[in-house]
Amino acid sequence: MNDSIVEFREVTKQFGGTRAVDNVSFSVRSGRIFGLLGPNGAGKTTSIRMLTYILKPDSGSISMFGQPVGPETQKRIGYLPEERGLYKKMKVGEQLVYLCRLRGLSRQTARERIRYWLERFGAYDWIGQEVGELSKGMQQKIQFVATIAHDPDCLIFDEPFSGLDPINSEMLKEVILELRDAGKTIFFATHRMEQVEQLCDEIALFNNGQLILNGNLAEIRSSYGQNSIRLRFSGDSRFLNDLKNIRINNRSTNYAELRLLDGADDQQILRDAQNHVRIHTFELVQPSIQEIFIDSVSK
Amino acid sequence: MIQKEKLLLIIQREYLTRLRSKIFIVTTILAPVVMILLLILPTLIQTMSADRQRQFLVYDETGEIGQELVGIDSVYYRITTNPPDELRASLITGDIEGYLLIPHEILDGKGKVSFYHGGTAGMTVTSRIRSDVQQIVRDIRLDRIDTPAEVRAILAERVQTENLTITAEGEEEADSGFYMFLGFIMGFIIYGAMFAYGAVIMRSVMEEKTSRIVEVIASSVRPFELLMGKVTGVALLGLTQFAIWAGAGAALMVVAGPIVTLFMGGDSGSVQSTEAAAEAAAFSIPYINPIIWVGFVLFFLLGFLIYSSLFAAVGSAVDQESDSQQLQMPIIMLIIIPLMFLFPVSDDPASTLSVVLSMVPFFAPILMPVRMAVLPIPLWQLGGTILLMILTFIILIWLSSRIYRTGILMYGKKASFRELWKWIREN
Repeated sequence: MNDSIVEFREVTKQFGGTRAVDNVSFSVRSGRIFGLLGPNGAGKTTSIRMLTYILKPDSGSISMFGQPVGPETQKRIGYLPEERGLYKKMKVGEQLVYLCRLRGLSRQTARERIRYWLERFGAYDWIGQEVGELSKGMQQKIQFVATIAHDPDCLIFDEPFSGLDPINSEMLKEVILELRDAGKTIFFATHRMEQVEQLCDEIALFNNGQLILNGNLAEIRSSYGQNSIRLRFSGDSRFLNDLKNIRINNRSTNYAELRLLDGADDQQILRDAQNHVRIHTFELVQPSIQEIFIDSVSK
Repeated sequence: MIQKEKLLLIIQREYLTRLRSKIFIVTTILAPVVMILLLILPTLIQTMSADRQRQFLVYDETGEIGQELVGIDSVYYRITTNPPDELRASLITGDIEGYLLIPHEILDGKGKVSFYHGGTAGMTVTSRIRSDVQQIVRDIRLDRIDTPAEVRAILAERVQTENLTITAEGEEEADSGFYMFLGFIMGFIIYGAMFAYGAVIMRSVMEEKTSRIVEVIASSVRPFELLMGKVTGVALLGLTQFAIWAGAGAALMVVAGPIVTLFMGGDSGSVQSTEAAAEAAAFSIPYINPIIWVGFVLFFLLGFLIYSSLFAAVGSAVDQESDSQQLQMPIIMLIIIPLMFLFPVSDDPASTLSVVLSMVPFFAPILMPVRMAVLPIPLWQLGGTILLMILTFIILIWLSSRIYRTGILMYGKKASFRELWKWIREN
């Protein structure tokens, strides 16, 4: 517990009458990718804004590296907001230097780091161009460089992959994992569950401002047990509609994920399926994170 | 509380990016040009329209006056023998511009001269004809009774009235109305500057908000620092612009002086050129007390700070410029009100109305320099006003930063005054 880098203690934030964040506590250790999950309006962005000291909590406390969040901790944060934005009329290089210096870097160090990252992203040639002249994809890369160039210890990515093509997404993923291995603490807010499964070590699931699930992703999944079936088949899928005590997720023409509810018998389902279609795969698995997400939110 | 290095960085960015922008260079060059045009345009237009050659026919029953008129200007006046009916007809068809009917009894001090025109004779034409006719009639009548030359001289004489002010030091100064004019110009410049720089602040806040960069910045600095940095940076920009103008103006004076003497000295010796030189000297700009310049800059700065904090709050509360109209209204009113009092205040700068209005923090940036230009202001009034303005600025920037802090993170809807009030009260 003592090596926790970020700690939320009974944090509450209200806007008007609504509790955007309601008595939330959790902690995150270094070198982890921490997934912040939840439907829209669940309290993710508000939590992030309190973590970045843009907003202050009404009650409770947030600490980072053992001290309460404030101007000092802000210097050790890299924040990539969901809504991207840079000064359109400023040149790439000037802008990145400015943002780095706002986080306390010297001009010289800032230049070196920026050069390294721009080269890494194949963007060094744009250093003298105005941001507004660049394509959306290029701007995304510049924004990402702006988030990490000052070498922060804590990184917060809000939907970092949105708008990126597959090649750049892959590159970004690589960099994120590299940053984690370098001991950075990474917050990762997203709706995309397959990315959560690929990247996150731990998750916090928000709904209506409350933290409804928190912990190690693998542990959470195993606690649900092998209560799901992955079924790949060819033939008429209408038999699925007649199955009892199950819930169907992710259904397509020849694939379905079935969640076994109380009283469901996996062997009986296998026999039913055999009677109607050709089975290619029938597998008992742990629930997907999407399944856990839906299950927890609908409770 | 404020982190100095960050604040300096922000000021530097706000200042430098604008200083290098095209719009800054263009306005720095264009604003004085427009100002000068506005000042000389009315005279210019009048001279240009006077160039149009006009002609009026004179139907003269006396046989004397008409000739004298032609003697003054043979193009302007032309004698006609066509009867009035025909003149009337040609005026209606537009063949002639106008005509004068001069009855014979006019030389007996009876009747009147009638000037007919198609409605195109303006004030200049009417008064010229009136004075020409009057002078001729008077001269002829004076001739008839053999008036002695001394009497004519007395009649032609004009009594000189001198307009002098006595300064606190007991010196006499000729009051040419120059200082009132100076005050007017200063008031107008500050008025324009409040709007122009206020709009710069508002747009800059709006741009950061709509481009969403503000969330990244807000994760590194406090919104208050960003706001202060912005306001300070733009204030420095304004001072730079004034300094450039003042420098260019001073350089122009230095250069203009020798050029004028060069031209005047060209045919020295002739009586005319010495007269012209004397005239030019009379038109040269009188001494302006440095305190007036200091006051001008000081009140511009304080006014800018007050209004820019208001404009920044509006900018943070809206997503696009068209939504800002409603919220801008009260601010615009506050800037326009002193403009309406510009004349009464410069006309009587010591009246109670003038003193009170010029001490209201929102009106002072425009009205105080106007008064300062015309007369020395008691120290308590100056000090009191400056103190009031600083106080107003502190209150406003505090309120504004509370609106700003919430506003920059709100998207999609435009806020009402009620909401702004709610943001101010929020923790």
